[in-house]
Amino acid sequence: MAVEKEILISAKNLKKEFRMGDTSQMIFENLSLDIYKGDFTVIMGASGAGKSTLMYSLSGMDRPTEGSIIFSDKEITKYNDDKLAIFRRESCGFVFQQIYLLEKMSLMDNVLTAGALGKNNKKEVIQRAKELFELVNIPAVTQKKFSTQVSGGEAQRAGIVRAIINNPEVVFADEPTGALNSNNSEAVLNVFTKIHNEGQSIIMVTHDKKTALRGNRILYIKDGQIFGDCSLENYKEANKEREQKLDEFLAEMGW
Amino acid sequence: MIQSQLFYNLKKDKGSYISFGIVILITAIMLNLALVLVFQVDRAYDNKFEALDTATINVCIPQIQDTDTLKDDIKALESVSEVECREAVFLEAVVKDFRGTDFSMNTVFYNKDESRDMNKLDIKEESAESTKESIYLPLYVASFGEFGLDDEIIYEIGDKKHTFLVSGVLEEMQYGNYGKGLMGAYLPKSVYEEFASEYEEHMVTEYSIIANDNTEINALNNEISSLLEEKSITMLTSCDKASTKDTRTMVCNLLILVLLAFALVILLVSVFLCKFRISNSIEEDMVNMGVLKALGYTGNMIIGSVVLPYLMVTLVASLFGVIASYGILPSLSELLTLQAGFSFRLLFDIKGFICVETILVFIVTVFTYTAAKRIRKLQPINAIRGNSEGKAIKKNYFPLEETHGNTKLLLVLKQMFSNGKQNALLFGVSFVLTILIAFASTLFYNVIVEPNNFISTLSEEMPEIVIYPKEQHEATIVSDLQSNSDIKTVLKYTMGTVNIDDVPVTVFACEDFSKVSNDLCYLGENPDEKNEIALGSSFEGKYKLGEQIEIQNGDISCSYEITGFVQSVNYQGNVCELSMEGYAALNSESIVPSLYVYLQDGTDVESLIADIEEQHGDMISNQVNYQKMTETTQEMYAGITSIIVIVIFVLTILIALFVLYIVIKTLLVQRKQELGIYKAIGYSNWQLMVQVMGSFLPSSALAVLLSSGLGLVYVPQMNQFIFQTIGAMKNNMEVSFTFLMIFALIQIVVNFIISISLTKPIKKISAYALIKED
Repeated sequence: MAVEKEILISAKNLKKEFRMGDTSQMIFENLSLDIYKGDFTVIMGASGAGKSTLMYSLSGMDRPTEGSIIFSDKEITKYNDDKLAIFRRESCGFVFQQIYLLEKMSLMDNVLTAGALGKNNKKEVIQRAKELFELVNIPAVTQKKFSTQVSGGEAQRAGIVRAIINNPEVVFADEPTGALNSNNSEAVLNVFTKIHNEGQSIIMVTHDKKTALRGNRILYIKDGQIFGDCSLENYKEANKEREQKLDEFLAEMGW
Repeated sequence: MIQSQLFYNLKKDKGSYISFGIVILITAIMLNLALVLVFQVDRAYDNKFEALDTATINVCIPQIQDTDTLKDDIKALESVSEVECREAVFLEAVVKDFRGTDFSMNTVFYNKDESRDMNKLDIKEESAESTKESIYLPLYVASFGEFGLDDEIIYEIGDKKHTFLVSGVLEEMQYGNYGKGLMGAYLPKSVYEEFASEYEEHMVTEYSIIANDNTEINALNNEISSLLEEKSITMLTSCDKASTKDTRTMVCNLLILVLLAFALVILLVSVFLCKFRISNSIEEDMVNMGVLKALGYTGNMIIGSVVLPYLMVTLVASLFGVIASYGILPSLSELLTLQAGFSFRLLFDIKGFICVETILVFIVTVFTYTAAKRIRKLQPINAIRGNSEGKAIKKNYFPLEETHGNTKLLLVLKQMFSNGKQNALLFGVSFVLTILIAFASTLFYNVIVEPNNFISTLSEEMPEIVIYPKEQHEATIVSDLQSNSDIKTVLKYTMGTVNIDDVPVTVFACEDFSKVSNDLCYLGENPDEKNEIALGSSFEGKYKLGEQIEIQNGDISCSYEITGFVQSVNYQGNVCELSMEGYAALNSESIVPSLYVYLQDGTDVESLIADIEEQHGDMISNQVNYQKMTETTQEMYAGITSIIVIVIFVLTILIALFVLYIVIKTLLVQRKQELGIYKAIGYSNWQLMVQVMGSFLPSSALAVLLSSGLGLVYVPQMNQFIFQTIGAMKNNMEVSFTFLMIFALIQIVVNFIISISLTKPIKKISAYALIKED
């Protein structure tokens, strides 16, 4: 008997519209979805479909034009900017395509800057940062380098450490391998898989099929709606059947 | 094509250009005010001087000593071109209710209707009808003393009061202002004849002398002195063109100095600002510049598009600044007329305009070009990739893992140290602006809080009451006053005129200079013994301490040892100090000194004067509420000082606002993405505002505190320089550390408030937008 999953995020009737002077662009409308705790949810879709916009709305980084988002029983759409900032620091971690590490800081300082907002004391934060760096295979000597002095893969793995330093409820990742070569991409994705296996909820936006295979639930966004929802839960990692299932799903979506 | 790039630059950064423009506008206002004063006041003075055929030197001698041949003898002198003589009455008079107080002045009363070839009078206002008691006042006495047409003016001479009706106000260029201690008064013929008949013993002959071209005034002075000495004639007064001009234009010259200093400081701030802004805009527009270079634009074309907006703003803002300054000039000339004693109109000055435009455009061009010239060295591909040497990160300040302390505080320190250039700029600007504030706060302290410090620097002795006793009652009054518990000290003090090197010099004689409240001696010691003298600062170059000097008073001559040098702003240092016995030796008749009365703290001066009048009314000729006179003077200075302090403070705040605006705006543009990252990981608006402010406010606050603290060293130097310019070799201005710190804290708080409002835009941008808008 399947175990009923706990809803982490519930979005109802979301609408997002960008206005520029007299013209407006509708990204999505009447969009509703649930995200479950412990899932590695992947959002896919064509360019401009609104994948990132949806993800940033769910994370409280951006505000939907209409609709409500309940995140762990809290309606974050009613939060003001400061409350949203506190919500993000307590509940979310972010990994960006362009990595966005603070340039004037070492990798370690980037992580500790985020860690300073958590509830642990400085010693505990440093200890956890070291453990996480070890988890993502970044040695101590690299931790002291600036983001401009390390490879893209190393910088992105440091970005993941920064995202999870405060034990967020969800890690939001926006095309995390989009700017990396295949070796670095693999290393980064392995980190995502590793932390997901340890129970971390992840929502990731990608248009890369290989990356999407790391998830256990694929949402496809099209015409401003969740056009398809595919579960890969029953397929083991790196299983051919899993890949086939995803291919079929994407073909169905018109990918 | 480069025009479109130029307008793009102007449009993109219009806030910064507006701020820069306003700073340039303020600089242009000050610079043009100073230059118009430089170019026009001096000329206006000389024109007026010549229009009224004013004599180069005017000397008064007792009429009884005058001879029939003296005029010819003077005319025969090598340096003399023309001579005119006329009779007048010269005496010390107290003008009642002169700006609310009694004012003692040496006054020369003239027959206004006598025809004049020299020292002509320019009547500015005149009553329709002249009365039997008519008087015409010089502009200075009328405007500063607050006497209007048909007002009453009372001259008290000895025991007698003369009441006149002001029938006219005129301009003359013969006398200085009250600083010279000598004024004219002009009576219609019949009034003069009646007045002169009462004071025959005070009749004088005035010789007005016009020198040949290229004659040195000092040389002419010496020739006339020698001639009079030869003929044993006493020179009672001497007024020459140079010293009169110095007195009348003193405030104007001081104002020019202050305006130029301010303009320089503000200009310095503005050019550093544009240099800072250009350096940053190169970083911000690096990719665009790379693309333009790749398209074939030359380095100079791109530099032009960066430099030209600043030059355009400078041209326009300085033009408006010059125009705006002409709105201020009428009130300024009115203020200066009050002190200069002659009216003048300041007109549009093309020289001033050209100088302002040239100076500002030249300096801005040099600074902007220096800042922008590195564009030439940019390699297009590196620029397109956004690589610049300036962007290289050299050091990870305060590594969080290794540095003890609160992480959020360490983040502020990191920001502060990694923005070195910006902090250096703010440090420098804040330091310089604080110099202005420190100067203003010290002025404020010494004029408003401790007014005696300022007044005593400009004045001579300052008792609370001056009593003129009748000769036979002097001892009784002194003894009675000394037994009064409200009175602290009674000092015999008198003023007179003696001759040093045949030039009339004001003498201050006192029974004990160790008891005076305002020690004028700035070098050596006051005279104590009968044969000792302290000379005014104007003699310092000529005589040395310990030398003997011969002093004449009429036929009597005595030798004194120079014990010190004293200052006197009002007499341009043309004074000396003698002990009472020393002064008595120069007088054939006994002296009846005034009694300078110093009161216990809290004593009511008015009621004490009333008591003295009641008890000793018949024993005294007159008494003057000197405290009231000091207060009147202080009120006048307090008004001007308050305006100066307010103007300096407003200007400083305004400049601080523009500087902070440009710095914060630059910072927000540069760190937009970084702030987005902070927001994304959960930093609140307030945390980010504190972090941004924390990255520059400490350096600015440190500069303010340091500069204020150092004010203890540099403000006395500034005061020394300024007061020496007007003849006060020693000033009593105190620099209050508490006051410096109070003003410093106000400045820091104001900077903080400005910064909070300027960093508020952080709130309006969503973290998502920050990240998306690279």
